[in-house]
Formats: sequence, structure tokens, C-alpha cells
Amino acid sequence: MPQFQTWEEFSRAAEKLYLADPMKARVVLKYRHSDGSLCIKVTDDLVCLVYRTDQAQDVKKIEKFHSQLMRLMVAKESRSVAMETD
Amino acid sequence: MVLLESEQFLTELTRLFQKCRLSGSVFITLKKWCVFLADDGRTKPIPRKGSVEGFEPSDNKCLLRATDGKKKISTVVSSKEVNKFQMVSFCCYVPFSGQASITLNTGLIQTC
Repeated sequence: MPQFQTWEEFSRAAEKLYLADPMKARVVLKYRHSDGSLCIKVTDDLVCLVYRTDQAQDVKKIEKFHSQLMRLMVAKESRSVAMETD
Repeated sequence: MVLLESEQFLTELTRLFQKCRLSGSVFITLKKWCVFLADDGRTKPIPRKGSVEGFEPSDNKCLLRATDGKKKISTVVSSKEVNKFQMVSFCCYVPFSGQASITLNTGLIQTC
């Protein structure tokens, strides 16, 4: 279960994984208030990509990424939207 | 698993976060929503060995699920509602600062 140390690597790999097969991929967020930690996982049940953080700056990036993925999923045409990595 | 309308889902999600403030985790899962549609108009699959029936990705919907390990809620988000769900702005601060807060952009609630 590859855990990424940098947000840029994770978001690139995760976007690629989702676009490879949008129907198979899912995104899981795990938030622990007691630890102040947020973990995002993107998987297609074969490959599993994880990024963990307790930093506020990463949280904003994760939230933006999550929103972008949601928008991709509800987009009417199948087009690949370039996602910005901070 | 309880399927809710979007407003209700957001309310319940807020409650989940409040419940898990002192201990526990909140899990949120997002995936593309697929609608089952067979050639003869059936909308539910009949389980048959070896048959792969028509699952069509519904092009403008996704499934959002949330749980704290015990209570499960879910909702289907369409392209019209996606703006309501630009919500999960976590503002987690580094633990040693002693503060962590969650803001839902819908303005529903803020827990500190």
C-alpha cells in the first residue's frame, strides 16, 4: 500500500489511477479530530495510494483535490480535466 | 446504509463529526455512481452465474458515503448539487497548537 511522502507525487498518481478507470476507482477520506490527522486513499482495488497528513496546508490541497474528483465524476462528458497540483 | 437527500446528508455528516470530536474517525467515501439498466428495461440485476449484465456509469452522478464505524449514511450527488458539497473544508491544525476545527462551507455548523 504505497504511502506517499509528497502531495505532488500522490496527486499525480491518484489522478492517473482515477482516469485509467473512473468506474473502478474510489476515494476514501479518514479524519481523526483527536489526532488532528487526515488521510486520503485512492484505490481501484488493485492499486492503493495513500497520503497522510496533520498539516493545515495539506488539508486545503486534499479538500481541493477531493472536490475536483467529485466534479470529474459528475461531469457530463468524459473528458479529462487537467487538475492543478499546488 | 441510509440513503439521504443532500441537505439531510450534510446535517447528519455534521453530527458524525461532532460525535467523533474526542475520539474516533470519520470515513468519507466517494465513487462514481453507476445505474443498472438491462436491455429489457429491468433496473435490478438478477443474480446469475457467469452473466455480466449492463451496468452503465451514470454520467452525472456520484455516490458519497460517510460513517464513524457504527452509523452509516449515504447520498447521491448530481452535477446540480455538487456545489453544495464543496463543503468538506477541514481546517486541521498541527496537534501541538491545540486547535482543530471543521468548517462546512454550507454554513451549517462549525465545531471547535
